[in-house]
Amino acid sequence: MKRIFALFLLATVALSSHAWAQAAATSSQGKAERRDAIFLRFPEMSQRYWENSETNAASHKVVAVPMPRQCAFLYADSYSKGQMSESEVQQIAVSNCNRKLGELGPLGENYSIDCRCQVVISDEHYVVPRNTLPTDSFGPVSIFYRDHTGNVARLNGLAKYGALIGRDRSVTFNVDNPRGEQVCEGTFTNDGPNSGRFSMSCFGGKFSSNGTYQSKTGAPNDHIIARGQTGQGQPVVMTIGLPAQLAAGTYGGI
Amino acid sequence: MAASDVRVLAVLAIAALAPMAAPVTAFAQSAGEVERCFQNPAACHGGGGAAAAPAPSGGGGGQAATRPAAPAPDYATVLQSPDAERRKIQESLRTLDKYGGPVDGNLQSDATIKAIQDWQKGRGANPVGKLTPQEAQQLNAEAARAPIRRVDPSTQAATTTPTPLQPPSSQPKSNADALKDLQARLAERRKAAEPKAEAAAQALIRDLKAYVAADGKGVAGDQFADFAKFHADAKAAGRTVGDITPVIDDYGDAKVGAAVASEVMVETKKDGTSQSQCLVFAWVEGNPRKNTQVFSCDDVAGVEKWKTDQSLKSAWR
Repeated sequence: MKRIFALFLLATVALSSHAWAQAAATSSQGKAERRDAIFLRFPEMSQRYWENSETNAASHKVVAVPMPRQCAFLYADSYSKGQMSESEVQQIAVSNCNRKLGELGPLGENYSIDCRCQVVISDEHYVVPRNTLPTDSFGPVSIFYRDHTGNVARLNGLAKYGALIGRDRSVTFNVDNPRGEQVCEGTFTNDGPNSGRFSMSCFGGKFSSNGTYQSKTGAPNDHIIARGQTGQGQPVVMTIGLPAQLAAGTYGGI
Repeated sequence: MAASDVRVLAVLAIAALAPMAAPVTAFAQSAGEVERCFQNPAACHGGGGAAAAPAPSGGGGGQAATRPAAPAPDYATVLQSPDAERRKIQESLRTLDKYGGPVDGNLQSDATIKAIQDWQKGRGANPVGKLTPQEAQQLNAEAARAPIRRVDPSTQAATTTPTPLQPPSSQPKSNADALKDLQARLAERRKAAEPKAEAAAQALIRDLKAYVAADGKGVAGDQFADFAKFHADAKAAGRTVGDITPVIDDYGDAKVGAAVASEVMVETKKDGTSQSQCLVFAWVEGNPRKNTQVFSCDDVAGVEKWKTDQSLKSAWR
């Protein structure tokens, strides 16, 4: 009898610890709200997550982004269909996020850290600590500059911009090189919902440029393309949101 | 004038001009130099801002060798600067919404120190609450760029003029002036193109609406096969096409005429619910329209490729 009781006790402990581990893996770090930074950063996702009647009403809704926070320049949202479990939807979100990362190409020229997709919101609750999520917008940046002799400089790094382009009148941005040193700072000023002007100053004002920018939504990834010139009239192109190789292939031919 | 006097004058003139020319030659903005500075900003920065990181081997180039590293931050210069300069710093902090106190030139007041700390925190610098001369210059430059200001325009005009964004010797115009010029040029170019672009977009919308009204007949369907398919699909799904509104994406001369790319929001309705589809219509003006294509608004690469294929010289952006 004692042996049976001991076995029962062991089984109970094993089961409860498994359940605890599962709960911890998806434990809530607070409820997600539609005005949270991550939804403001990705308005199309926000629309699907909160507004679109087809996706909004899904039983399970999951958002995955590359982490740590400076990697979160893309996202994957996934919604259950039929009898899909929360865990299945999570797997799909992470898989889609990884696929997007893979399609955009390597990030090594922009980042010195490893960016990995992970679930951050599941069923309207954060599953990672809120303070690990970005409150600013980040993205890989490439700057192309053609000097007066026709040589082109390609500068790849990481951009951080203060708020939402398209909603705020003006936002500042910083550009760090892959070693994490701040190299440039600048301002985007809106003229319309997806376009406006920019000015940028690098190396303590020794290299500066200004011109216009446009926010592009969708394929191959949401990005900002800014075109301008230096004080000497030499062309400068900056993209935020595309890894170095893709940026060079798309906009590098200045 | 004796020859020796001429030589003396020449030497004096060179001596006087040399410091003015130095910044220009020190950073000629060659692509190589810009890349080197990007990889090793400490070698190109004049101090302040980010702390000087150890230079990587072989990264600095000649620029690094000509710039001695600042031994320690110099806060005394700004603190002991003339009253007008100290007030200017407070004005800049106020412009950047960091400071709400009096503009009295007291940089050691609690409110001013806190404002400086906030500004330093915002740019990732050590929030010491005091400014190096370089930081003061950057702060003033940032404030000069800020589009929304609290200071009244007369004060702004008076205070921004003596502090250009860059040393006057290295660049004839300040960033703000250059930006204004550029904006003015772009606006002028766009304004000139606006009537034609608008007319082209409105003509398209008329054709699209006529096609919908005629239940799938008309030039819009002939010219834009993808729109005809979109209309047919909507119809098959029991959806009716509602409002159609354009926003010009780009306009300019192309190799065979004026090229237009216009985002068009097409609303479809069914059972009281409506959906909007964003399409980009691209064509070269003519009768009939030439080189027509329809893209999803997400297909940025496709639209840009179309423009490249048409050799579009934008008068819109």
